[in-house]
Amino acid sequence: MSSIERVIETPKDKQNRHKAMEAIKIINSIKDDFKSPIQSMNYFYDLFEKVYCKNEPLHNGKTKIGTMCIQIPSEIIYALDGVPIRLCNGFYTDDEIGSDLLPQKACPLVKATVGHFASNNFTDKPDIVFSPTTCDQKTKAGAIVKNFGYKVVDVDFPRTKESEGSREYWRKSIKQFAVELSKFKNKKLTKSNLEVSIKKIGYAQSLYHKLSEYRKQEIAPILGVDMFLITNAFFFDKIDSWIEAMEVLLKEMKTRVEEKINVAGKISPRIVFTGSPPIFPNYKIPLIIEQSDALIVADETCSSNRMFNDMVAVDEWNLYDMIDSISDKYLKACTCPIFTTNDDRIRRIIDLVKNYKADAVIYQAFAGCTVYEMEQRSVLDAMEKAGIPILYIESDYSPSQQGQLSTRVEAFVESLKNRRRNKK
Amino acid sequence: MKYFAGIDIGSTAIKITIADKNKNLIGHKISASGSMFYKYAQETLSALIAELSFDKNDLAYIVATGYGRKLYKEADENISEITANAIGARAAAKEFGEIKTIINIGGQDSKVISIDNEGNITNFAMNDRCAAGTGKFLDVVALKLEVGVDELGEYHFKSTGTPLSVNSTCAVFAESEIIGLLGNNHSVEDIVCGVHYSIAKRIVKLVKRVGIKESVYFDGGPALNNGLVSAIENELSQKIFIPKYPQITTSYGAAIMGVESYNYEQNK
Repeated sequence: MSSIERVIETPKDKQNRHKAMEAIKIINSIKDDFKSPIQSMNYFYDLFEKVYCKNEPLHNGKTKIGTMCIQIPSEIIYALDGVPIRLCNGFYTDDEIGSDLLPQKACPLVKATVGHFASNNFTDKPDIVFSPTTCDQKTKAGAIVKNFGYKVVDVDFPRTKESEGSREYWRKSIKQFAVELSKFKNKKLTKSNLEVSIKKIGYAQSLYHKLSEYRKQEIAPILGVDMFLITNAFFFDKIDSWIEAMEVLLKEMKTRVEEKINVAGKISPRIVFTGSPPIFPNYKIPLIIEQSDALIVADETCSSNRMFNDMVAVDEWNLYDMIDSISDKYLKACTCPIFTTNDDRIRRIIDLVKNYKADAVIYQAFAGCTVYEMEQRSVLDAMEKAGIPILYIESDYSPSQQGQLSTRVEAFVESLKNRRRNKK
Repeated sequence: MKYFAGIDIGSTAIKITIADKNKNLIGHKISASGSMFYKYAQETLSALIAELSFDKNDLAYIVATGYGRKLYKEADENISEITANAIGARAAAKEFGEIKTIINIGGQDSKVISIDNEGNITNFAMNDRCAAGTGKFLDVVALKLEVGVDELGEYHFKSTGTPLSVNSTCAVFAESEIIGLLGNNHSVEDIVCGVHYSIAKRIVKLVKRVGIKESVYFDGGPALNNGLVSAIENELSQKIFIPKYPQITTSYGAAIMGVESYNYEQNK
């Protein structure tokens, strides 16, 4: 036996190694398994490796504002000189930690988020956490995290979006949120700092929209998994670096489109992805889809498209109008299944299928994500009526069952290819 | 002077240990199982007796164990490798202290045995998926990486990047995963390290099934691989004890059983 002294890792190192191993596996799959890689994607590959494999903090010296869901407006956080860090978590390592604290049937995203807080192991630790009362599990998660000793502030979120009452209610919540954060930061929210941040986020969104335009073309310039990396990076990246990387990417994209570089196969079916959000590194289903020779051309998920789709529409650039416009964007435009009726979501999926010339929809629901599981039926019915093939997959964060899942996806993809062949 | 032999005929190697009447380890020999278990076992035993230069007639009792134990018909008794492992491990770890959990990784299986203060087996678990996470698996990995099996430990500690895990539990599929990683120019050291962690995770799951009781002990050929040992320690978050000759403890246990059975018969 060699004479190397064996030192046992600390629990923190062990958790970091497990997460690094999960992360590198996905980064390598995206880098290695597909043809025609995009040079400027390296920014994002390196970013995820830096943060999740090497644990390098990005925001030293800044106030980090943790958010537990999509509904906390980044516009207000940036205006008050904070950095929003979205803490929705995709790591199986953290899911396993959370499983010891939450019911077995709870949603893996919530378990992973709670597990992450329980381990108190952050590269960019949030100084304060805002928890919107969206779904039941997230609402309770906020309270559990508070018990761990973190500073957590609830932000009341309504479960209906049609009524004028809920609109007023949410506007009040957002104002309250702005007051709380302003107090915490000891900084005043002003017309000018809010206008700057609304415009900056609007610009970031416009870059996403430009990139999405390219995805409408028949020759596919970018993979869906790459898109998920780009949008997930917005959870935690420095916004200026992200914007810069997107500008570089868009330039490369332009030449790739001119050169007709295709990342997909000749007859690869085009997929709209919907349902429970793919959050790095839980790209299990998106990766299986694209490894099965299909291409994700658009998505309807809160970890990606929903962050960028709708912009804040301001009528008058005065402070209260801006805050109301922000509130409306995070309520009215939201297609989360926590709402009572959710026809908006169905309309959006159908629009995406049309605009992106998709062949089908794949719907992921995390086992335990009750609202997405429940909304399955109405979406399936609507797709059937619209003549759009749809595959519903229940999944979780565990690395097992890859074989069964890929067989199902492959069979679905093959049926879509046959549909295309028979049409012509 | 009476001698007692424990013959452990495994899927990959034949291990023979000779003990004296006080259960002390006198000598041992290891040879490949090859295709003719019985013949090689006999040859190895003769060679060991010659090496230790005692009279063949002084061999008082032979206990066979391991997968091939039933093939060795001259044995006075044969016992399962689980019992033999537990007895041998306890004796081999005498100077270390009381062990309660035994991890054994063999050529084609891996098992975890839980024992009580008296050395009785209270629970055990074996891998249920072919060669996943066994010595054979390491052989396949080493072969594909063009590294000697005995060098895997060194490579493990040279890894500087993130360990690259291999998800497949099947040695055949794992092989293709490794080819994929090599094809994309990933470092051999990181792959070796990742393979060790993949095996370690699987073993730790098995350990958790029987329940972790201190102290933990690890034997079988793969216990010679310091990288794998370190990976298991990290996954378990605790130190594990490795005996001086991790390959032969099961045959040593069989030899000790021989002493006990012999004494029992003499006193009848």
